[in-house]
Amino acid sequence: MKFLKQGWLVLVLATVFGVGLAAVDRALGPKIAENQKNETFGQIANLVPGGSAADTKEEIVAGQTVLKVYDARNRHVGWVITASGMGYADAIKALLGLNADATKITGIYILDQKETPNLGSKITTDWNKQYVGKNVLPPLTVVKTQPTKENEIEAISGATISSTSLTDIVNKAAETFAKNLAAETK
Amino acid sequence: MSDGPAPLERFWNGILPENPVYRQILGMCPTLAVTATMKSAMTMAAATGFVLICANIITAMIRNQLKAHLRILVFVLTIATFVTIADRVLAAYMYDMSKQLGPYIPLIIVNCLIICRCEVCASKQGVWTAICDAVGNSLGFALGLASMATVREILATGSWFDIHMFWLAGTPGEKFRWALMALPPGAFLTLGFLLGAGNWIGDAMAGKKKAQAA
Amino acid sequence: MEYITELLLIAVGAAIINNFVLIYFVGICPFIGVSRRVDMAFGMGCAVTFVMAIAGTLSWIFTYYVLRPDAPLATAVYHLFGGEGPSDLSILNYLVYIFVIASSVQLVEMYVRKFFPSLYKSFGVFLPLITTNCAILFACLYILKMVVGADTPAQMWDLGQSLTLSVFAGLGFTLAIVIMAGIREELDLCDVPKPLRGAGITLLVAAILAMAFMAFAGVNKNLMNLLTPAPAAASTTDDAGKKSQTAETTNADTNETQITMQGAK
Repeated sequence: MKFLKQGWLVLVLATVFGVGLAAVDRALGPKIAENQKNETFGQIANLVPGGSAADTKEEIVAGQTVLKVYDARNRHVGWVITASGMGYADAIKALLGLNADATKITGIYILDQKETPNLGSKITTDWNKQYVGKNVLPPLTVVKTQPTKENEIEAISGATISSTSLTDIVNKAAETFAKNLAAETK
Repeated sequence: MSDGPAPLERFWNGILPENPVYRQILGMCPTLAVTATMKSAMTMAAATGFVLICANIITAMIRNQLKAHLRILVFVLTIATFVTIADRVLAAYMYDMSKQLGPYIPLIIVNCLIICRCEVCASKQGVWTAICDAVGNSLGFALGLASMATVREILATGSWFDIHMFWLAGTPGEKFRWALMALPPGAFLTLGFLLGAGNWIGDAMAGKKKAQAA
Repeated sequence: MEYITELLLIAVGAAIINNFVLIYFVGICPFIGVSRRVDMAFGMGCAVTFVMAIAGTLSWIFTYYVLRPDAPLATAVYHLFGGEGPSDLSILNYLVYIFVIASSVQLVEMYVRKFFPSLYKSFGVFLPLITTNCAILFACLYILKMVVGADTPAQMWDLGQSLTLSVFAGLGFTLAIVIMAGIREELDLCDVPKPLRGAGITLLVAAILAMAFMAFAGVNKNLMNLLTPAPAAASTTDDAGKKSQTAETTNADTNETQITMQGAK
């Protein structure tokens, strides 16, 4: 009884706020989910050539939620996966487009990065077009000069660590996914 | 129980004489963290203002029922609820901005400014005074953030509110004039010098008043 | 072995590379307010580390089992009452975290007062202040991001990683605030321009410290390269040699900072 006398206000407030929060969640939840979906679905056409956002489905491969991309005529043309890891300053998060059998990178889009402005942050510019069309295996390597081999990426001058970080993230995510995909379809 | 300054005095005090950033030195984390651009700073100021006003109103309404040892718990409960609402609204209608601000929106919960205003004003005075106090302090906080963000964004990118300052050389967004200002040390430097400047002006004005009085 | 490497990287990352105070700007209030004397700063640092470790652990447990979408416990309860599909309680995240922090502060205070009265005398006064310390809530939010935002379930942080983050983030906070207090003790003897006295000069010193800490960025990348054996070459003995070497270099690095700090004194 003493407890109730002391704490009734807290209990009443907690109930009122709880109901309020539930209402907010009900009202805004779908909108937020849609925003999150749009963020990745909006990039599908850029990440996988011919991909159509309307026909793409979410699928779970070895526990990882990925997008199975179909084109307008309902042919399976590729995959979109998320890839993240440590960059130079903070985490880098990217979307990676792969072809249907996950052997070739068809596109890359940086979702989130906090690299040094104008040096590491160049990974969001056209510089990352270098990844497009590369094979998943052998793993990509970063060079500081003009690339001579097929699997080489030219580093951003002054931001070698950002470049290698992103390359490692891409390599790891693509390889893991290709391995998982091969194991699942077997 | 309405002892303490009048509503209008509270309002004005919050903006300049007791400016949260420069005078009370409260809420330093967002002041430093989100002022790299004007846009994020103003979103932050708006979110903080919303939470501060709502929390002050609720606290003022229940001030007579408050038990002394449970009051901090009640404040925190109220603030956390409104922060969650602000966070959801931002995520629903300004998704990019909410992603950019990231953890600093939930960190409003532990912004000392809000708890301090609840404790100092709202738990002692009426609803109307509490609203005036909250609005005044929000404006003062926004002023503090705006001054920081103006200095940092112009020095770092040559633009203000994403509007390129055409008389400054360089192309927008691409040419960083002084990248350090967008990075952590720039935040500390700017705030340090602005605080110094604020004190200097304050001292000079106080000196003038004294001279006039004498 | 890979797990240990990962923990080491998290530790180095939280303590020095992305120092909570100087890079993420959380915990600035005590950083400015309680950095007048080294012993007080150290007490504050210990209290924060202690509470952060407890709050970090508890928040991981709550996030993993109750709050995250499709969390096992919450879903089980939800289904018990006839609900369908995965549960999602993430709207309660912030409320739960702030209560976890507040109650762990209370618990620590009671425990320390009862069993370690001498310890309580040295840092007990800081404990109530810690509830509104952003650094601890930030650690909880960081753990939330690593649990909910993981690409694959395998990359989801477990208890060990969360604990490492919270402990070393606390140590990083201690490091920053003690360095600051050391500098400020000397600043008392300097002729600082009047308007800058107090918070102003502290922030300017913090700017220089932040610049120094920025030099650590990228260290983790090279550490990782040294610690993870290259796929083809690197034999185990070679690897071990490399590892001790890196440990030495990091030690040397920190020593150097400390020496410079003492030099500054």
